[in-house]
Amino acid sequence: MKLQDNKAIQIAIKNFKDKIRNWQYVFFALGLPIMFTIMFYFILGTEELPSGKTSFDYGFPGMIIYATAIGTMNAAIMFAGEKSSGMLIRLDTMPAGRKDIFLGALISESIFLSLQIIIMFVIGYAILGLYFESPLALLFGFLIAVLFGISSVGLGIIIASMSKTVDIANAFSLLIFMALIFLSGSMMPFDSPIVYFTPPFWAKQVFLQIVVMGHGLGDNLYSSSLIDYSAEIIPISLLGGLLIVLAYTIVFIIIGIIIFQKKTKF
Amino acid sequence: MSKTIIKEDFQINNDSTIIDIKNIKKYFKDVKAVDGISLKVKKGELFSILGPNGAGKTTLVRMLTTILSPTSGNAYIKGYNIKSEKSEIVRFIGVCPQDIVIYDILRAEENVEFVAHMHGISNKEAKEKAKILLEKFGIADRKTWSKNFSGGMKRRLNLVMALVFDPEILFLDEPTAGLDPQARRFVWDYIRELKSRDITIILMTHDMVEADSLSDRVAIIDQGKIIARGTPTELKEKHGSDNVLEISFIEQIDLNIVKNSLGKIPFVTNSKEISKKGRKTLLISFKGGLKEFIHILQSGIINDIEEVENMKFRQNSLEDVFLNLTGKRLRE
Repeated sequence: MKLQDNKAIQIAIKNFKDKIRNWQYVFFALGLPIMFTIMFYFILGTEELPSGKTSFDYGFPGMIIYATAIGTMNAAIMFAGEKSSGMLIRLDTMPAGRKDIFLGALISESIFLSLQIIIMFVIGYAILGLYFESPLALLFGFLIAVLFGISSVGLGIIIASMSKTVDIANAFSLLIFMALIFLSGSMMPFDSPIVYFTPPFWAKQVFLQIVVMGHGLGDNLYSSSLIDYSAEIIPISLLGGLLIVLAYTIVFIIIGIIIFQKKTKF
Repeated sequence: MSKTIIKEDFQINNDSTIIDIKNIKKYFKDVKAVDGISLKVKKGELFSILGPNGAGKTTLVRMLTTILSPTSGNAYIKGYNIKSEKSEIVRFIGVCPQDIVIYDILRAEENVEFVAHMHGISNKEAKEKAKILLEKFGIADRKTWSKNFSGGMKRRLNLVMALVFDPEILFLDEPTAGLDPQARRFVWDYIRELKSRDITIILMTHDMVEADSLSDRVAIIDQGKIIARGTPTELKEKHGSDNVLEISFIEQIDLNIVKNSLGKIPFVTNSKEISKKGRKTLLISFKGGLKEFIHILQSGIINDIEEVENMKFRQNSLEDVFLNLTGKRLRE
């Protein structure tokens, strides 16, 4: 079977068309990260710190994570819309399983997220000249952001499955998104152990230490320790932090599939 | 392997029954939406389900199309159990829902191709099938997004989406609601064409003319139960009202002679003289059809056509059947 005949791929293509043909959505999803990048460039400034880097160099990974976490809201709104339009019921009368629908949504959202991240990378690293350790480190940072983005999509689908209307999905996803972003200290420092329970903290910290601080790849992934909210070293390596992001992603997706199957049955 | 043999046996041994519903029930807390329905539908049959809003039609069809699980009882579609063999059933059923369920932001052909892909049809074949069907339904030329379609075009697209993979069994829920007479007539002709191709059709409708002209058999549902079933003719004969012929005469003629002669015709059940706008009017109730109608006209009740100012004929309909059975009209 050709890839284009795969049901999940077809659902992903449909979802993607659904997104890009809605210019207001495109403006929000792509315009917001661009706006934030430029805005914080001026707020944080370009003055050099003793390390030779700027405040914005250190703040930008948090912004990437912030933009990626918007995937929670996008996925929640899209799925809730599918539910309320009656399309999920119609799909139930076709040989398309919940697995295909879930996977299709995951693919389309991941592609869209990747586009958002690429745009931010281009503006931040290519146009504004922010510091990055090496192209390989940057590629690694991109993959971390995508991985975290997939966990955000999983979370969004959980919220959509439990919401009765698009408005409720929108409100709840915004609530959870804001809570996660601020409690993780991604946007501004938050000195509390609560950060350990939020996926954005781990994603941002691994990204920051690999791409900006140059704590390295290869063997350094095992040997370099993560730094916590109070600049203290914690006994978890970069790889450990990466595995925590991966674990959050897997857990959100599994819970997402279970709740999606359970809550969208009639 | 044994399962396949069972399905083959089922088709051979069950007198071409393709849908077999056995005492199916669906309760939502205290509400008995479907309350013990048993029914058999034969292959190639067009079976209509009539009933007022809230009668349980949609719940029944949602169970048959595997969307809802029954509280008790069961149903078999082509021998497949609706509770445990959903993945098999959805391969050969087409469903046209009452609400228009299309992707607004996709074009007509994209909507149709999407459904075809969900049924495992290759990209190339999906495009070909979509083109043929959309041309047939007169929406192939519209290259805009479906949200810009008129209500009638959306309704036609809704139906095309159920047809693209050549389903063996088709569930049509109010397929002509909101269509103009021309489009409605087209859809009726297309349904007849599908029937001629041996496709089994379950039609839910409020349109009594539609049900009468298209159906092989009809079931009337009220409060979750089947209250009558049979061919439209059987139902009208058994549960319907008499046909009524109303003749208003210009001249102040004596109708007693006419009434006496009508009284001798066995299928005339009643003849009543009333005054309508100052004219003598005769209401003749009778059983039967066209033959009986002609017989009455030829019985000598009209000596000179010039004497007749107006003549109306109201035929016994499925709506009368429903009214007589439930005491309320369908649109109430």
